[in-house]
This record gives sequence, C-alpha cells and structure tokens, in this order.
Amino acid sequence: MEAVDWENSSGGSSDTEAYLQDTKYEDDEELHFTSGFISKLQFRKDKSRAHWINEIGMAEVVENKGKLWRTMGVVRSGKIYYSIEETLFLMEIGALLLLDDNGTSLSLNDIYAKVSGGSWELFEVYRHLKSLGYIVGQHGIAWSIKDAKSNRPSVSLQCSPQSSEVVDLESEDESSIVGPFNNMHINEARPVFDVYLPNSKFRKSSPGDPSFVICLTRGDLPSIADIEVLERQCGAIPLRFCHVEYGRVSFFSFDEVELPILP
Amino acid sequence: MEPRWKGKGFKAKALAEPMSKIVSQLQSSLIQSDAQGLLAGCTVLIAVKPEQTDLLDHSCFGKRIVTAEKDNEWFQLGLEEAFYLCFSLKCLKIVGDDKCPKDDVELWQCMISRKPNFPDFYKAYSHLRMKNWVVKSGLNYGVDFVAYRHHPSLVHSEYAVLVLSEGEDEGNGRLRLWSDLHCTTRVSGSVVKTLLVLRITKTGNGVASPSCLEKYTVVGRTIRRWHPEQCREDNVIGENRTKQQEALGKASLKTKFTQKHDLKLKPGLVGIERGFSLVSISLVFALISFIVSRWFWSN
Repeated sequence: MEAVDWENSSGGSSDTEAYLQDTKYEDDEELHFTSGFISKLQFRKDKSRAHWINEIGMAEVVENKGKLWRTMGVVRSGKIYYSIEETLFLMEIGALLLLDDNGTSLSLNDIYAKVSGGSWELFEVYRHLKSLGYIVGQHGIAWSIKDAKSNRPSVSLQCSPQSSEVVDLESEDESSIVGPFNNMHINEARPVFDVYLPNSKFRKSSPGDPSFVICLTRGDLPSIADIEVLERQCGAIPLRFCHVEYGRVSFFSFDEVELPILP
Repeated sequence: MEPRWKGKGFKAKALAEPMSKIVSQLQSSLIQSDAQGLLAGCTVLIAVKPEQTDLLDHSCFGKRIVTAEKDNEWFQLGLEEAFYLCFSLKCLKIVGDDKCPKDDVELWQCMISRKPNFPDFYKAYSHLRMKNWVVKSGLNYGVDFVAYRHHPSLVHSEYAVLVLSEGEDEGNGRLRLWSDLHCTTRVSGSVVKTLLVLRITKTGNGVASPSCLEKYTVVGRTIRRWHPEQCREDNVIGENRTKQQEALGKASLKTKFTQKHDLKLKPGLVGIERGFSLVSISLVFALISFIVSRWFWSN
C-alpha cells in the first residue's frame, strides 16, 4: 500500500487536483456537430411530398419516401403530420418537397420565414438532437391514436391550437393535462420535447416512455420552483434543460440528490 | 460519478479508518485537553499539543500555522469549522478579546456579524459534516465548499458545493444567468467534480440563536452538463451492443474518411448502420453465388 502523507495534504492550498483537458468542450462540439451528418448528406432523389397547412402550422404528408417518417411526425386519421421543426429539418436535408395551398412548391426561404418568435430556438434543439440519431417528439403530443389511448401520462391528441381538423374529437382524452406546446405556461420553463434513444424498433403505436424530457426557459435559468413543478409533471422521466445561444445548444440536468451518510 | 481514489488500497484504508471515528477521536482529545480557541477576525486560532495536530490533520479541520514555538502547534480554523467544533461537537470553547468563553448565542451572533450569510453556510457545512463528509473551502474552484469522501490525500473531492439561500434574491444572486452556470460547471468539470447546489430553506423567522438551524432544511441538486453525443454512445437499444458499437465506430471512421475525400454519403441518419448491414448482406450473397457458380462450373 502506498504511504500517505497526512501532514502536507491537509493544508488546503496544495490540493493537487487532476485537471482534465477540456476535451468535452468547444472544439469537440464543433467537430461533432458542424462536420456531422447534415453537411454530408446527399440530396435525396426521391423526396417525400407534403402540403403545408397554415391554419394548423403543420405539414400533411401527401407522398412518403424513405424511412425517416418512421420516427417523425404524428399520425392522425391515417395521415402523417410534421411539425414546423420536423418540416424544417427535412427541408434542410432535402428530403421533403413542400407545397402550399395552390400546389406551388415552397422554398427553404419560405419555410424559414414561417419560424416565428421562439420557434427558431426550438428548431435548433430539435435539429441538434435529431442529427445525433435521437427520436424527438413534441412533448405531450401522442404519436398516434393508439399511443393516445395508452396509459402514458400527460399525452393528448391535440397538436396545435387550431388543430380541430386534425384531432379525432371522439377519442380525445379529456383528462390530459398538457396542452399544445404553443401555450404559455405560468412558469418560465416548459417541457418541449420527448426524446427517445436511437432505436430501430421504435413504433408510433407504442413508443413507450421517453428517455428524457427537454425543457426550455424563456429567460434565464429555471427557478427551483419551476424545476419542481416540471418534475412532478413528468414523473420519473429525467429532465434536461436546454439553452440556445449563438447557434450553440447546451443541456443541463438539475437532478435532486441526497448525499449518502458515510461510515 | 464514482469516487476517485488516489492510490491502490486507499479505498480499503479509508474503510478501515472511517472519518466518523477520526472525528470522534479528535472530539475526545479536545475535550480532554479543555481546548480553547481565540476568535480573531474571521478566523479562530487554537494552540494544540503535538499529538492533536495529527488528529486535526486527519479529520481535516483547520490549517496549520508554522511557528517557531516548540511546545504548541498553532492552527487556524474557518468560522464554520470552529462553530462546528464548538456548537455541534461541543469540544472547543471560543474566547474573544476578553478571554472569556462565549456562549452559543453570543458566538452565533459574532459569526453572523463577521459573515452575514453564516446561518446558511453553516447549515450546509454541518449537513455534510454530520454525514461524515470532509468539507473544505472551495475558493480554489470558485465555489463555496468542496466535499471529499475521506481525507484529501486518499481521494479526490467529488463535489463542488454552492450554497443557495431561499428568499427574495433567490440564491444571493448566484447562478442567475446561463453564463454563470456554464462557468461554474465548466470549472467544476475540468477538475472532475460535480456541481452540487445546496438549497437552504427556512421555516420560521429570526436568526437570533443557533436553535433556528433546526428549522432549516437542506435540499441538494446536482447541476451537470448533459452531452447527448456521449449519452447516445453509452446507451444502445434494439440491437446487439457490440455490433452497434462496431457500426458506430465504423460510422465515425467513415465520416472522417468521407470528410477527407469529400465524398457523399447515402442518405438516412439511422441508415448508416442499415447501410452497412445491407452491404455486408449483399457481399455475403455475392460470395455465395460465386461459390455456387464455381461449383456448378466445376461439375
């Protein structure tokens, strides 16, 4: 056993701590993200086609190609609907041809223009996680009718404030707590995305509980009160709070902990 | 995070001599020698016998002052440390200029006058010490305290502790902005410590006496940076783990290769692994048909 130098170690000022190289930070993040999948994806020859419906702020899929739809979009009345984030994402990688009411194709410019207020930050978070292979859904919105009928807490069929056409009113769960993500919550922080680990067996009919719930704050850090409210809402599912600034997305956890009593 | 022991056998050594035992030995020794400390500014000075210096060192209370005196060893204690020995362990008397030992209330008020948020800091300090954690100043790391599982010579500290008070200016203005959070977690992270925030809530008013401490509660939260890139690689669902790791490894190699040669990848994000399995399946088929055709021709 190595000898221990009690005397010199308790001084405090000579605390020789191991200093890690900051390999996790800045440079590696750049490497991971900007030179990642997006910039190297080829434009698809076969694009899916969708019709942008302004009234509900979603794209209704007209023709599906490829496999991305398996982990994107919600199913209502047999049709797939993409949120603005999903639509933007697919357009950025060239996997979607988007048409307006007149059948004219919308450009990336047009769809960028539709991103209003805080939605750009939401999109950056979506894109960051989606590019890493995670499966990302809107928090509290059922992936399909079957999912809505399951016992997952705080899941509703409603997709957006004006989505009366999209909702199957007969089977909507009256007791669902969480409304559409566009609603302002009383507190500053709100849950925005349900995130699942990359999973080739993911099914919209039974997605199961997400691995994380991503929360966004409007202003500064979430208050402890906010965090506690959200923890109660989301049950056992870990929360991750994200912060977007200057195109960088960072995530934090604020898990409660009780230090053990040592011998 | 697992505790990082500084050497082989140190974990066993710590287990063989738990901190609770060392602290109680210190307590007995100080009681026996009727130890007294002198309140001087924001510090308490004590003179101890040589055999007691080891106990103070081992239990991590105070900092030795090197003097020419042969009979006595001088130590300086922080306010929380001194108050803990005096009030919680009842093994130290503290005197002021008048050379008279102060009672608990008087001492408490002295502490507060020197450090206005002493109640919260003391609550946090004693909360950890009572669980037998070693608590030292966190000034080196831009935090209030650092917590060690045992003596710092045996183990690296695990937690960088910030004390947040409940109240109108929640947290005394600490960790107000995202940049504060980034800063503190980055500093803690670069020395491999987890940021632990101890939130002190008070029920009832008044800090007139140390008995108010009983009405304080401590809730701890760890604040960690979450790296989805790392998390994804640590967790794989739906497929054999080693197979997936190989594929991920190949995928990252492939990404580097394509970047270098500016090639274009087949589309599809989860498709990289599928792409590889497709390629390998078609290779197998090609091989089989080659073997079959050779067999056919040779017959």
